Amino acid sequence: MEWALLFQLTVNGLIVGALYGVVAMSFVLIYKASQVVNFAQGEFLLVGAWVCWWMLTEWQLPFWAGFLVTLAFMTLFGIVLQVVVLRPLIGEPVISVIMATIGLGIFFQALMKWMFGVFAKPFPPIFTTERVSVLGLEVQTVYLLSLGISLVIMLGFAWFFTASKHGLAMRATAFDQQVAQSLGVSVPRVFAMSWAISAVVSAVAGVVVGVVNGVSSALSFYGIKVFPAVILGGLDSVVGAVLGGLIVGLLENWAQWLDAGWLNWGNMYAIAPFYALVLILLIKPYGLFGTKNIERI
Amino acid sequence: MRKTILGLAAAASLAASAATAQPIPVGHLMDLSGATSDVGTPFAQGVNDTYAWVNRTRNGIGGRQVNVLAFDYGYQAPRAVSQYQAWSRDRVVAINGWGTADTEALVRFVTRDRIPYVSASYSAALTDAGGRSGRQGVEAAPFNFFYGPSYSDALRAMLQWAAEDWKARGRPGRPKFVHMGANHPYPNSPKAAGEALAAELGFDVLPAIVFALTPGDYTAQCLTLRQQGANYAYLGNTAGSNISVLRACQTAGVDVQFLGNVWGMDENAMKAAGAAANGVVFPVRTAAVWGAQAPGMANVQAISRVSDPAGTAYRPVHYLAGICSAMLTIEAMQSAAANGGQVTGERIRDGFYARQDWVPEGFQGICAPSTFTPADHRGQLTVALYRARVGGDTSQGSVAELMQAGTMGLEPVKTITLPRRPDWLGW
Amino acid sequence: MVAMTPAGDFRASYQADTTIFPTRNSRIAVWIGLALLCAAPLVLGRYELGLLVNIGIMGIAALGLNILVGFTGQISIGHAAFFGFGAFASAWLHDVAHIPVALCIPLAGVMTAAVGLVFGAPAARLKGLYLAIATLAAQFILEDFFARAQWFTGGVAGRITEPFEILGWRADREESFFYVVLAWVVIMFVGAANLMRTRDGRALVAVRDHYLSAEIMGINLAYYRTLSFGIASFYAGVAGALYAHYLLFVSVEAFNILLSIQFLGMVIIGGLGSVSGSLMGAAFMVLLPEVVQAGADALAGGAIDRALRLGASISFLREMAIGAVIILFLIFEPDGLARRWRLIKAYWKLYPYSH
Repeated sequence: MEWALLFQLTVNGLIVGALYGVVAMSFVLIYKASQVVNFAQGEFLLVGAWVCWWMLTEWQLPFWAGFLVTLAFMTLFGIVLQVVVLRPLIGEPVISVIMATIGLGIFFQALMKWMFGVFAKPFPPIFTTERVSVLGLEVQTVYLLSLGISLVIMLGFAWFFTASKHGLAMRATAFDQQVAQSLGVSVPRVFAMSWAISAVVSAVAGVVVGVVNGVSSALSFYGIKVFPAVILGGLDSVVGAVLGGLIVGLLENWAQWLDAGWLNWGNMYAIAPFYALVLILLIKPYGLFGTKNIERI
Repeated sequence: MRKTILGLAAAASLAASAATAQPIPVGHLMDLSGATSDVGTPFAQGVNDTYAWVNRTRNGIGGRQVNVLAFDYGYQAPRAVSQYQAWSRDRVVAINGWGTADTEALVRFVTRDRIPYVSASYSAALTDAGGRSGRQGVEAAPFNFFYGPSYSDALRAMLQWAAEDWKARGRPGRPKFVHMGANHPYPNSPKAAGEALAAELGFDVLPAIVFALTPGDYTAQCLTLRQQGANYAYLGNTAGSNISVLRACQTAGVDVQFLGNVWGMDENAMKAAGAAANGVVFPVRTAAVWGAQAPGMANVQAISRVSDPAGTAYRPVHYLAGICSAMLTIEAMQSAAANGGQVTGERIRDGFYARQDWVPEGFQGICAPSTFTPADHRGQLTVALYRARVGGDTSQGSVAELMQAGTMGLEPVKTITLPRRPDWLGW
Repeated sequence: MVAMTPAGDFRASYQADTTIFPTRNSRIAVWIGLALLCAAPLVLGRYELGLLVNIGIMGIAALGLNILVGFTGQISIGHAAFFGFGAFASAWLHDVAHIPVALCIPLAGVMTAAVGLVFGAPAARLKGLYLAIATLAAQFILEDFFARAQWFTGGVAGRITEPFEILGWRADREESFFYVVLAWVVIMFVGAANLMRTRDGRALVAVRDHYLSAEIMGINLAYYRTLSFGIASFYAGVAGALYAHYLLFVSVEAFNILLSIQFLGMVIIGGLGSVSGSLMGAAFMVLLPEVVQAGADALAGGAIDRALRLGASISFLREMAIGAVIILFLIFEPDGLARRWRLIKAYWKLYPYSH
């Protein structure tokens, strides 16, 4: 029993899981606010990472300036996407909306490859100390930054949805669009805002992953990992999404431990979350923490 | 008078037919967009530039221009197979291929259609021309060739070096070897042969570790690597994903000697991985790298100017390997066309057997010598091992500048010549 | 769908009202079309015939998906996995059981239908987004299974298959395989159109339109949802088997998530819930990359080519075109090509009173 390895993999799983949680949070935000399943979430990470990289290398901006410019760009990006592509599809069947986001995903992935090439490009070094030791595991400083940022974002979301006017408007829209509209909430504006926030948060995650692994098209896989996370955590709650992300991170690394120790199949890291997803859906069709739809006849 | 006119007409028609001589169709499979495009792009560029240069400066082959039908199949074997079927109807006389999966899939087809196939896959299964190795799953491949040592032979050479290195360092006990790569024909190709030789040489062979051909976060694999206590790890993927492993393992503090394959490390990868790439030992297929002094470097630079007229690009090792690979095909075609012969698949194949210790003309010091025989298509059994040296921050500056400044460098380690063992044929 | 029949063309019986090709003109058009297609291999070149063969194969698979998505209202992002299962099953049946290829194709369809029923049973309980995610997971899991199951699929290296052969006649070229595909397209499409006018077909549509009312009327939801998965998988399996014996090589790399997305694109572009729309959508998706390639070739060497590096990036342009086309169709023509075709026909039939 290699307990030391298990412990280290657990720590790694929590750190990576925090990132999955951040991406899952942005996915759930869009779903809750506008009932749109965003299959292009991974591409938000990708676009954010490439834009930040471009700012840093082509325009030679310092990291903080480039980061802020990226966030501003992603806000605009999210709003434009929602207005141009998603607004005409309000009211269409869910399959059409899913296909539209899939189409967006394909389009932006290919666009990034066309503009920036297929090679993985590294970020210029940002921190003076590259590595920090956490509970015996050497971790890149930027991962700790991401943990910090994830916590800040979660707290920010909590405050936003409970105490701020716009956040309450968003919750109202998610609950019942017609009633919210009758109370004076501008539903299209809420939709656009939700997409903007989601894009910004995903871009943060993208930049973090880009700093660690270099920017490449593999970033869009984070968008696929979102699905086990939201099934585990439930589509309705942002906190559930974070939990789901952490669980997926842990699941992956524990599966790797199992695999390396006994099974030697070699692929459990990639495929274990999907087996878990299918198992959970078999037993609980609305996910672990999701609320069952009560249907009106 | 009539005879003069007839004579003039005959001469004119001869001249006309010579001027409009049929071009020679040659197929070229490239990966410019798929999982191995990071190394596929420079290799394909080298091949295309070489054919263009030969068309321009040497007037093609026997006076006939070569018409290269290039196709980007994105590293998906089914697309390569469907493109092959289109080409075999266009009657291509030779194909410059790319990946292991599609090359192995096409072996039966090219043997049936008698089309020489010069791949960028160095899978040992392609070297068994007569099908007599007796290895499971290895078919006769009389029309498959490649320029360079096979993956298995390169791994064998690195294992021999590793065994000597372990002794030279005076470390006690048995060294541990692990094979790392994706579950795909290309990384899997040398696995069985490598693990067998490792056991023979006294290594402890650990269970293989899998990581995908795409870049990603491989911290978990690195932690496993460290836990298992491996001393020598073979990276079976291309540079793109190897970089992710190198960086993750550097962060996790893994102390392992990495052994790369020919596609696993190059100057671009050294720049992208930075200090994480320092110390990786890998084979280089050509006798020189870009910018070195060699008699053939002038021709290489002329070829490079086909796609880079300004002459400023730095060409990685794969570009030079592409040149050598294309030149082998071209000289085989020249053998077939010599003395007014027909340029057919079989004659081109025979052209491969025409020379011993074959270095294409004008490329001395660039291309390593190859020897092909009808039963044994292992062209090279000499493996030149280099070590990647990265001494500082590689994020600023181009590859050319970093190589010139000495921040990055390729230092030769050892050249190992393997014995031509018959039991090593085909695997 | 009510076809606009000319004045004086009356239906005297219920049976006459539900014929698949209702008017005399449409029947004549079908016969002429079939005759032209049969003559096609004598006229067209190999490249064009290859395109038509691809359209036929993809059309059958898209039709299966349309039955599942368009007629029953489910979602499946894992259709490529069933397509691949059919391909591998047919190759395996021929290699291991030495069944002639002509029989392998329908048997592979039946095997795939069985697998589809297995996946469909739990999927019947899920709705909407959860079903989409479950099918996505199924796609990845099946892909992984294909990569690992060396005995069935040849592992990651793939497997070589044998060409179609019946009574000594070998269909290993475009010209001959075209007829095989044509026969199967006719059988499958007529079969689907027929299905839609039977009780089961109407039950599927009822499940899509308002499943609570359907349940109240006595339609067993779970049974019909599962059946729908089975039928869709049968179509995918037959299409996959045809693909395997056309390409003479199968490998797991062909059956990835992008192919699933392309099938969904074919269904949506062609028109959800339309049998002929599936073929139109398949034709569109097969011809789109060719058009993009032709466009890039036309611009090659020019100033635009140099500025945008078109030549090297043709694969990216192709994918961008697919994504953009899907989005544009969804925004501007959400009911697909089938509706556009119906409007065109109506315009001519009602001229000059068309709206």
